[in-house]
Amino acid sequence: MVANEKATENKNISIKREAAEKRELCFEDEACIGCGICEQICPVDAIELGPMGAIVRGELDASKINIDESKCVLCGMCSVGCPVEAIDFTIDGKPISEIEEYPRLIRSISPEAENCVYCGACDIACPQGAIRVMRELPERAKLVTGEIEVDKDACISCGMCEDMCPADAIYLEENIPTSSNPEIATDIVIDKDKCVYCGICKRICPEDAIKVICKACPYGEYEIEEAEVKGDLVVDEDLCINCGWCQEICPKDVFEVEKPFEGELIINEDACQGCETCIDVCPCNVLSFPESSESGQIASKIQKDEKYCIYCGACQNVCATNAITVKRTGVNITPTKSKAWKKAVDSLKFSDEKAGSSSSGAAKAKSEGK
Amino acid sequence: MAYRLVVHPELCHGCGNCVVACPVNASKSTEVAGGKGPQEDVGLSIIVEDGVVRINQLKECKNCATCIKACPVGAIGLEEV
Amino acid sequence: MPKHIVSGLNYLAAINLRKEGYLQKEIAEALGMDRSTVSHYINGRNISWDSIEIAEVLSKLCPEDFLKITYTLTKDTTKTRIIIKTLKDFNFRPKVKDSCIGCGLCVDTCLMGAVELNNLKAQIDSNWCCGCRMCESRCPTNSIEILEVEETEGL
Repeated sequence: MVANEKATENKNISIKREAAEKRELCFEDEACIGCGICEQICPVDAIELGPMGAIVRGELDASKINIDESKCVLCGMCSVGCPVEAIDFTIDGKPISEIEEYPRLIRSISPEAENCVYCGACDIACPQGAIRVMRELPERAKLVTGEIEVDKDACISCGMCEDMCPADAIYLEENIPTSSNPEIATDIVIDKDKCVYCGICKRICPEDAIKVICKACPYGEYEIEEAEVKGDLVVDEDLCINCGWCQEICPKDVFEVEKPFEGELIINEDACQGCETCIDVCPCNVLSFPESSESGQIASKIQKDEKYCIYCGACQNVCATNAITVKRTGVNITPTKSKAWKKAVDSLKFSDEKAGSSSSGAAKAKSEGK
Repeated sequence: MAYRLVVHPELCHGCGNCVVACPVNASKSTEVAGGKGPQEDVGLSIIVEDGVVRINQLKECKNCATCIKACPVGAIGLEEV
Repeated sequence: MPKHIVSGLNYLAAINLRKEGYLQKEIAEALGMDRSTVSHYINGRNISWDSIEIAEVLSKLCPEDFLKITYTLTKDTTKTRIIIKTLKDFNFRPKVKDSCIGCGLCVDTCLMGAVELNNLKAQIDSNWCCGCRMCESRCPTNSIEILEVEETEGL
């Protein structure tokens, strides 16, 4: 009888069965967001989700899921259901995402890089660190033009210009006065790459020791080089979980994101005890503790913004007081001819009577009855 | 691989942070949030008794680790069962 | 001794194949034997009656035992398939239910090579199914049903 071979490396798991075909499943712990969809979809209960609250908080060093190789039949359903491609499944070396018979979750991120102005908002907001904005700014000195001169004989080294300069372009080399060198500064230096010729130094100088002319204004802006910002927007699709933060925060509509699931996130505030586990676990930064509008006011216990939610269900799994319900209503997936697979996909959707739809016969009778 | 909450009474200082932090406890009795705790057994997960931490029952414990986070002396952990 | 039992099985298979109208050459190829040996068998110059008797007993065992013993003796899937197919007493109608998830365990289990996957569902070739039911017992979703049918059906 062909048995499965299991290997674990760090927290990654691989399970393999080699016979008529070579089927191999590889779980990558780092990519896993702990949503538990694999556990939910597995037809033979071979997958168990770990205590995600403890794991994301660093209180337990363990794999996010465990797969029982004696139960696993290497069907590939977990891989198809995983919204973050943390489970790779190959048949004879070919990923099932490339085999037409298998359904595939539809999710995408499409950046229109030419519209990007490199503001960096997406880079900061992305909860998975999947976006990098790198930019190269022009030299400041090329965007202004003027002249500045210090009459060092007239300068009394008071340092007022240094204190006032908004561009930090003036620097006094300080000195402790001694009988041999009774000066409080040995030199005054102007950094012309920083100076914007604003003239504040000239106006503050008690000795009229500084002369400044700004040439930009009288000559008009046209004489000066265009300010050109060069940059690069890099999206790592392997890290992206399609939460939509970039799409929402981008001022230039650079991003279009397709989410794998549709649904509704319901929080029962009465049941919530504010333990913060869901906030720590949510891979999309959907949840947060709100700040009260003024002192003494009690804000709501927890705040959600469903714009960023992918309805993965990770929050619901960790909530100890059942205060969260993720009602997944739609699964964005390519079609399959297999009835068993269709049913498995449908099982990811929320239903009020989960118990009543366990056998295919019952499901068939139900759909015919409609 | 299943996990279960364990306490190490020998490390416990009896501060009661875990009792207050535990969301299951808080949902069982409003007195928990006040730091005192109810006198009768209302099914709290983790309690401090005679100055020492004790697991009362783990029926509703989801291993969220909020108590572990709250413990200043590492007297609570998870173990494989 | 195992060699003798295999000879017995070969003998029975050769005789049956001849009855089905196959040529000596074809029989020799299918069973991996010399043409002269096939010719001996068919012309009644046979091997020991004991070997044939044992082979006959084997072929009357339940299909799973017959299959497993034959495979253990021959250590050759191609040969096993032909012998079993030729000597099986009953025909089987395998049914795969829609609950099949296409995990391929049955494909890996079937020594007769009767199963393949099509659109994430197992397809069992009734011509090759020997009724051993190993796929049925291995199936994680209980999606396979092997029914015994009258010998004449489908021929």
